[in-house]
Amino acid sequence: MTRPGLVLEVDDRTPPLLVHEGNGFRLEEFPRGTRVLYPPESLPAVPDVEAAITRALLEPIDSEPLPQLLFPGMRLTIAFDDISLALPQMAAPDIRQRIIEQVLTMAARAGVNDVELVAANALHRRMTAQELRTMLGERVFRSFYPQGKLTNHDAEDPAGMAHIGMTDHGEHVEINRRAAESDLLVYVNVNLVAMDGGHKSVPIGLTSYKSLKHHHNSHTMMRSRSFMDHKASAMHHSAWRMGRVLKDHLKIFQIETTLNNDCFPSTYAFLQKREWEWSIRDQASMLAARRGLSVAPASLKHRIFQGIRAPYGLTGVAAGEVEAVHDATLARVHRQQLVEVDGQSDVMVLGVPFIGPYNVNSTMNPILAACMGLGYYFNSYRGKPVVRQGGAVILYHPVEPAFNQLHHPSYVDFYDEVLSVSTDPAVIEAKFEEQYATDPWYVHLYRTSHAYHGVHPFYMWYWISHALDHCGDIVWVGGDRRAVERMGFRSASTLQDALAMVQGSVGASPSITYLHNPPHLIADVR
Amino acid sequence: MAVRIADALAGRRVLVTGATGFIGEALLRTLLVEVPGARPVVLVRPKAGQPGAARLARTLRKRTFAPAVEAAGGGAQGAAVLLERVQVVEGDLSDVPALPDDLDVVVHCAGEVSFDPPIHEALDVNVVGTRSLLARVREVDDAQRRRGRRVHYVHVSTAYVGGRRRGPVPEGPVEHAVDWRTELEAGLAVARDVEVASRAPDQLARFNDEAEAEHGPAGALTSAADAERRRRAWVLDQQRAAGGQRGHSLGWTDVYTFTKALGERVVEELAGGDDPLPVTIVRPSIVESALLAPHPGWIEGFKMAEPIILSFGRGELPEVPAAPDATIDIVPVDHVVNAMVAVCATPPAPGPPRYFHVSSGARNPLPFRRLYELVREYFEAHPFDPGESGPEVLPTWTFPGAAAVERRLALGERLHAAGEKVLGLTPRSDRVRDWARDLDRAKSRLELLRRYSDLYQAYTQSELHFVDDATLALHRALHPDDAATFGFDTAAIDWAHYIRDVHTPAVTAPVRKLDDLRRRRSTTAGRGRELAPAAEGAGPSDVLAVFDLDGTLMSSNVLESYLWVRLPELGALDRAREVGRVLRRLPGLVAAERRERSDFLRQVYKRYEGADLAELDRLVDEVLTPHTLARVSAAALRRVRQHRSAGHRTVLLTGAVRPLTRPFWPLFDEVVSAELAADAAGRATGYLVSPPLVGEARAAWVVRYAQVGGHDLARSYAYADSHSDLPLLRCVGLPTAVSPDVPLLRAARAARWPVETWAAPVRSGGDGGPLRRLVPSTAPDTAGMALP
Repeated sequence: MTRPGLVLEVDDRTPPLLVHEGNGFRLEEFPRGTRVLYPPESLPAVPDVEAAITRALLEPIDSEPLPQLLFPGMRLTIAFDDISLALPQMAAPDIRQRIIEQVLTMAARAGVNDVELVAANALHRRMTAQELRTMLGERVFRSFYPQGKLTNHDAEDPAGMAHIGMTDHGEHVEINRRAAESDLLVYVNVNLVAMDGGHKSVPIGLTSYKSLKHHHNSHTMMRSRSFMDHKASAMHHSAWRMGRVLKDHLKIFQIETTLNNDCFPSTYAFLQKREWEWSIRDQASMLAARRGLSVAPASLKHRIFQGIRAPYGLTGVAAGEVEAVHDATLARVHRQQLVEVDGQSDVMVLGVPFIGPYNVNSTMNPILAACMGLGYYFNSYRGKPVVRQGGAVILYHPVEPAFNQLHHPSYVDFYDEVLSVSTDPAVIEAKFEEQYATDPWYVHLYRTSHAYHGVHPFYMWYWISHALDHCGDIVWVGGDRRAVERMGFRSASTLQDALAMVQGSVGASPSITYLHNPPHLIADVR
Repeated sequence: MAVRIADALAGRRVLVTGATGFIGEALLRTLLVEVPGARPVVLVRPKAGQPGAARLARTLRKRTFAPAVEAAGGGAQGAAVLLERVQVVEGDLSDVPALPDDLDVVVHCAGEVSFDPPIHEALDVNVVGTRSLLARVREVDDAQRRRGRRVHYVHVSTAYVGGRRRGPVPEGPVEHAVDWRTELEAGLAVARDVEVASRAPDQLARFNDEAEAEHGPAGALTSAADAERRRRAWVLDQQRAAGGQRGHSLGWTDVYTFTKALGERVVEELAGGDDPLPVTIVRPSIVESALLAPHPGWIEGFKMAEPIILSFGRGELPEVPAAPDATIDIVPVDHVVNAMVAVCATPPAPGPPRYFHVSSGARNPLPFRRLYELVREYFEAHPFDPGESGPEVLPTWTFPGAAAVERRLALGERLHAAGEKVLGLTPRSDRVRDWARDLDRAKSRLELLRRYSDLYQAYTQSELHFVDDATLALHRALHPDDAATFGFDTAAIDWAHYIRDVHTPAVTAPVRKLDDLRRRRSTTAGRGRELAPAAEGAGPSDVLAVFDLDGTLMSSNVLESYLWVRLPELGALDRAREVGRVLRRLPGLVAAERRERSDFLRQVYKRYEGADLAELDRLVDEVLTPHTLARVSAAALRRVRQHRSAGHRTVLLTGAVRPLTRPFWPLFDEVVSAELAADAAGRATGYLVSPPLVGEARAAWVVRYAQVGGHDLARSYAYADSHSDLPLLRCVGLPTAVSPDVPLLRAARAARWPVETWAAPVRSGGDGGPLRRLVPSTAPDTAGMALP
């Protein structure tokens, strides 16, 4: 029996607790009475993954079995979640490879010749050939990539986009032309967190700036409370409306997968165990890691952490009609990640880890760190935020002003040119978004290099608008002071200092909650 | 009973030379303000296209003349009345024009003020000028004599005219047997000889070699210009040395006191003789700011003590070669002028000249140590703007003696030379640029110290004092009511008040103002030149923005690019060999870069021999483009794009081969690069189609391009990093040095061009140090890395 999530109250016997901070971690002594949220332990994995996939494809929910949808001469497109999922990257073989191999086998059996694969990267960077090979496996890669039938979605290719229609809210629905003009679109998803999947897959993953504008803006993001609960998220409402428009035009066979909480390989098992349960071996690995990291140069630390591959176990796979499949998926995600929390607290503490969706094989720059902490972790709740209105968030991350220019060229300029003018999402949106979104150089880099779209840093900043609006104080511990201040936050060198700094909004003895993740958790705040 | 000065000078015509100089201006002011009846005449030389009258008008507009303007009715009208009162004689001392024949007094204030002018200039002003003026004074005297009057000639000299003599200096002629005519002729001849010698082949060869060594990479014309600059500098230096050494060899401190002494001898001879004029020689010591009039602290330009005071306040002068107990003989300018007015009011009988020392040392000595303490007190209370690093630490002078200071100086100079040498061998970086700045600062301090050590030693060491009995008697003879306005008893000066509260604040004020200005500028600096986007619908602009690639847009260099592009083509073993081969040749390649950039580029491009050009393009797109885009400076890209949005025509100018520029094609309207020659099979031959575009060729290309395209170079921009790009930067109106090497840094600072650092991106990893950069792994993924 897997143990459920836990809310620990720090007392005299509580050991120092592990806090992630970029390419490293620290052991922190929290004040007595601090609530610590631990995610449930890993659910048991499906024992026979291949069989589970086959069953899902043959016995889909609210849909004909996949083989019945395949016929000779048809046009089949398989889209799949890009490298922003899962985090850390999944140890080979990736679940997407296993599913796609089975789909392709069925298609071959049905005599389907016209098959193309497209990474649903929306405005994310193009995946490299090597990344595609790793994700989909050598066989799939070799059969499709050299022929140009395994590609990245290109939202800026004027000939490559198809306008489907408008929602009843006047939102443009535009997706990848090949997908739109296929007889069947199979979408392969990795539902790492509750935010993913459902109508977020096709209407967002294969769309363009024109369509994204309707829900990726400061206004909608502010009213998405939270992203992890699609029923309470304005962003998801918009995506759902788009999905329903799409449904009338395109047959989508959605395949969703859920993973357990095995985020770290055995060497780093201590990272996902509760500290007082660390074995001698865990303690030794922790000490070795700490010692090693303290002397390792930044580039080595970066490689070590980017090199982590998670031995995720599959907790389920479902296929068929999008919404029905997604309901089943969410139930499994909640079972793995929900932690019941009794009421909000004055202060929320977060450790921003080494990886987020947009720095896979890359650098977590300050904007991404802010988005990871204040966009994703802050919003990892159902019901109410963990921290009360006007309360304080304290985050841990080095916040080095370092950027990967290959991947994040517009981020560098956003940091230098935009954040130096304003940090207010609405102001930034009105003043700069259009210019960045249409800048020909960024468009060129997005289409031909491996750069995130020019508008992407704006989205990162919109993700955090709910937190900016909700919190009275935001303080970073151990962050580069200038970078932290550039983003409009305050910086402290220790937790004690940070708590002293937020006294103005939460008083001298605030209630504190520390979100002990990863592994991922959703705080179900009652 | 003494006559009032105003009465004695009422209606008198007083000619003043050097009226636009420090003492002359003060004298003119006193005559206009305090002696309403005097009718001044000024001899003013036209300068910089301005006639003498205009120069005078400008002088009269100064604040010091405000009371006189006010007294004359104020405003424009008052100024006009004042101008009316002063007669202007346009002319030069080297060839004095005929003077008005009704002059009563001629005051010769004009003189060379520098201590180390070239020998011929010092002689021209102090000897030739005096001779020429006296000839005209004789003419006036002849005319006046017919009216039964005489002209009183007042000659302003210096108390230090006695040279390196010690002990009390009497108010009388300096004893020496130097013939001024011989010295004049010889001095002018030496100056000419130096000019001729500078053109001798071996001299020119030396200038050429030195210029080549420093500016060779920038091209032949740049070197030539520098060679000529060196020749002129050498001539000036030799002419200065000729003056200084001649002065020394005859017992004077420098060419200034030497030629001043000759000037006195000219006066004694030409105004004396069988038919002497009424002559007075006034010898002030070191003239500094005013004690009272026109206002306390008034000073024009920097005199002798100011550079020392300022550099002390900045913490830049660690020690002086002065004896602590040596008297520094300072006198406020208003004392000097008052004494001169008193002299003018009491003309002597014709005969041997009268001598007056206007000095303080005899009766109110100011020891050097006291001066130091007072200046220190001032700066302790009012430090120069502290800036970010707090106020400068004031040096503590211990007066270790001239020899010790000299030793220290010589050591400093040797260290500096060594630093320069190391600097020349160090690859550029921010740290090296800072170091170069430090070295340059150290150099200017050393030069300052060297200058004072050589020049002022005589003044700060001399155990001499100037007897001023005659001057004191003149002061005592003043009408009691004149004593307040025209007094010049230096014994009455309270040094603490004068140095600490009047003089030092006055001389530091303009520097503080400059500091303020600089600070205000520096807060807006660092962002480089501002560029506004072009207005909507604006047509194509005629402005160019030219960018160098290597070192400017990105920190990589040609060699590294070569390795990057060529390596994937080779097998693993070949790759290792190739890296080894390049590494082994590195010293030679670096030397080639120092020799001439185009040689260097040719050597690098030789290594493309056998490369398939089509394959090279593909490799660039797949391998080099991501590599390049990850390393290019974000600030650089931003600037290129700003120029584009400003409507400028962007040009990439590089010695790199064309394929390597592919990542940047979308950013530039024009890409000028080297073309690799190919054989029939499309493989590189290792040669270029045409010579690489470097140094002056780049400038010539840009000039031609602008002519053909109708672009306005004066409004155009250029960005480059290397000394070899100096001609390119010089050919546009708005150049910027980007992360420059040291020679370019220095050239840019001298020309006041913006210097920017377009930093290579900071990466928190994924790069993996130099070795990883040299040998790219085909798989960027790092699976399987374990924690140490």
